[in-house]
Amino acid sequence: MIIAGGIAIMPSCSNDPGKASIELKKINITADQEALLSEIAETIISVKDIPGAKNLNLHLFTMKMVDDCHNEEEQKVFIIGLNNVDKAAETKYGNSFAKCDARQRTALLTAISKEEEALKDIAPFLKIAKRRIIQGFMNSKYVMTDLKKYELVPGRYNGYFPVKQA
Amino acid sequence: MPEITGDSIKHRTFDAIVIGSGISGGWSAKELTEKGLKTLLLERGRDVKHIKDYPTTNKFPYEFEHRGEVPMDIQKESPIVSRCYAFREDTLHFFLKDKEHPYVEQKPFDWIRGYQVGGKSLMWARQAQRWSDYDFEGPARDGFAIDWPIRYKDIAPWYSYVEKFAGISGNKDGLAELPDGEFLPGYPLNAVENYFKEQVNKNYKNRHIISARGAHISKPQQVHLDQGRGKCQNRTLCQRGCPFGGYFSSNASTIPWAEKTGNLTLRPFSVVHSIIYDEQKGKATGVKVIDTNTKQEIEFYAKIIFVNAAALNTNLILLNSVSKRFPNGIGNDSGLLGKYIAFHNYSSTISGEYDGMKEFKTDGRNPVGGGYVPRFRNVFKQETDFLRGYAAGFSAYRGFDTDSSGFGADLKNALLNPPLAPWRVGSHMMGETIPKETNFVTLDKQLKDSWGIPQLSISVDYDDNDQKMIKDYEDEFTEMFSKAGFTNIKTARTKKAPGLDIHEMGGVRMGNDPKASLLNKWNQLHHCKNVFVTDGACMTSTSTQNPSLTYMAFSARAADYAFEELKKGDL
Repeated sequence: MIIAGGIAIMPSCSNDPGKASIELKKINITADQEALLSEIAETIISVKDIPGAKNLNLHLFTMKMVDDCHNEEEQKVFIIGLNNVDKAAETKYGNSFAKCDARQRTALLTAISKEEEALKDIAPFLKIAKRRIIQGFMNSKYVMTDLKKYELVPGRYNGYFPVKQA
Repeated sequence: MPEITGDSIKHRTFDAIVIGSGISGGWSAKELTEKGLKTLLLERGRDVKHIKDYPTTNKFPYEFEHRGEVPMDIQKESPIVSRCYAFREDTLHFFLKDKEHPYVEQKPFDWIRGYQVGGKSLMWARQAQRWSDYDFEGPARDGFAIDWPIRYKDIAPWYSYVEKFAGISGNKDGLAELPDGEFLPGYPLNAVENYFKEQVNKNYKNRHIISARGAHISKPQQVHLDQGRGKCQNRTLCQRGCPFGGYFSSNASTIPWAEKTGNLTLRPFSVVHSIIYDEQKGKATGVKVIDTNTKQEIEFYAKIIFVNAAALNTNLILLNSVSKRFPNGIGNDSGLLGKYIAFHNYSSTISGEYDGMKEFKTDGRNPVGGGYVPRFRNVFKQETDFLRGYAAGFSAYRGFDTDSSGFGADLKNALLNPPLAPWRVGSHMMGETIPKETNFVTLDKQLKDSWGIPQLSISVDYDDNDQKMIKDYEDEFTEMFSKAGFTNIKTARTKKAPGLDIHEMGGVRMGNDPKASLLNKWNQLHHCKNVFVTDGACMTSTSTQNPSLTYMAFSARAADYAFEELKKGDL
């Protein structure tokens, strides 16, 4: 089992090193694409430096959600966008995304999210990826336990809870 | 509990049979077994034992593979049930697969069903309000459907009876149009809900915002502890089944209670094909059941039969119960069986913001959801160009305004430390629809389901009255919101097909005249007196209240009557 965002995901049955590491039913993602998505995820929300969040594998969670919870059209634009990220990085910075420095990566994703003309075909991908990465992060056991505690059993309701004035 | 292994007729004979174990069937079974009647409770789906069969109940959000979302394949496979708000990754197991239980839609109708022990009482929205005479007298006053054969005084003691046992939270609001009940403490309105209540009181006569009344144990009484139920813990994860028994369901309450009497035989996987009518005796003698797994046909016998299969399936069973005496369905001399189906009009919602009360937010969760607006249109007299009116939900909520436009450390910080948003307010309408002969169900002449039972064919639609009512709700609530100083007010049409309100009613309506109705004032078939219908099928009109509490009261009342009649030898 692979843990992604705190849940177990079936590893791929394939031994092909070119394939994604988790089992996907609908979309095809190669090991290279998976590695790129991992870098993009880390750029969107850096978790590597957070003890306890290092292994959230938000990119795998994203792949799983795109595979199971998006329609064919969204899956298509997701793959197209992902495929074009390296090209855009090359054009802008002369390097693949993974080889760009942190500032360049953030600048590129910001430009994509602003739907700049040349990057328009990547924007739908980033929208989906970002939404899922945020979801995977915020609904992870780590965040829901250590940072923003989710209460399964509140046992109370107060409709006049005072807001602390800053 | 007696075993049903033997083939002998004796083993298949009971004092009473209850068809369906949902909210009304659970009550029928509880009442009949408590009176000492050996009762067979038939359920077409699987068993669901309280707590033990709530597999998701204690899961954290991150323990769900898709964080609560229903995967696309499941949505494609079951598009109808996927439109139900309660159908989520944590409740999938309490809903059926569309294609396994087909029906014919002459017009779009989203038929939401819960085929398991407890039925939809596991996933219901738990709102519980009494009817008043302004509701029961509606058809007679406004000239639609037929007059109800009962009035508030007939059912009031039974409302009290079921409320005490089920546990209904609410306040004594003193409103003639929404009678007070036997309440556990109500859940107080929050800062902005109360603010709106005050504004509405100031700006309008006869419009009220009250705490929603719901089947939640806000303060357990001995009768709840005796059921093994405890205080509601404000989880608002009710649709998963509650490990505390904090809300009312057949599973947590009436069925285990009935089992404790030693008089209950619960038989899951038993779809009822029809009611058996004996031409010589002139009454029903039992039911024909198909075992849903083996598809074997079995007959069970009893002196009285309670039909609680949920409104439309009750229609189906009665229509399919044909005999020489009743060629068009049991009790159907009037020819009206399956007709005058109605529902609740949930077609519009409204939202807004309030830029005040910033010193407050909410903490914890309100299990009943907030406020309730009793019907104020056409209550005391006719005042609009449409008949009847609507109740509405009203709630206020203060969340966060998360700016997720950034990346990296900025985004992480924005997600983890978002600023409080202004209060947001919302409401949804619950409109009465007018029962009409043209809104009906029949049996399809060709199509059958996997158990050889004819498929139900549904022809139900909105009408002009509904459209006028939607507009009125939007106009009135826009005005009420504006006068309260709410901003960014937006109405949104839900585009729900009938059925998705999950308040379908009628088809086997009550009435005094056997020529114009199927059931008498005791929920007894006029023409086959040992058959009782106490679920939504019996409803002569729908009014605007969430109907389950009324079905509970009808079930307890009819069971009491049936028992007395049995004792007298009249059934």
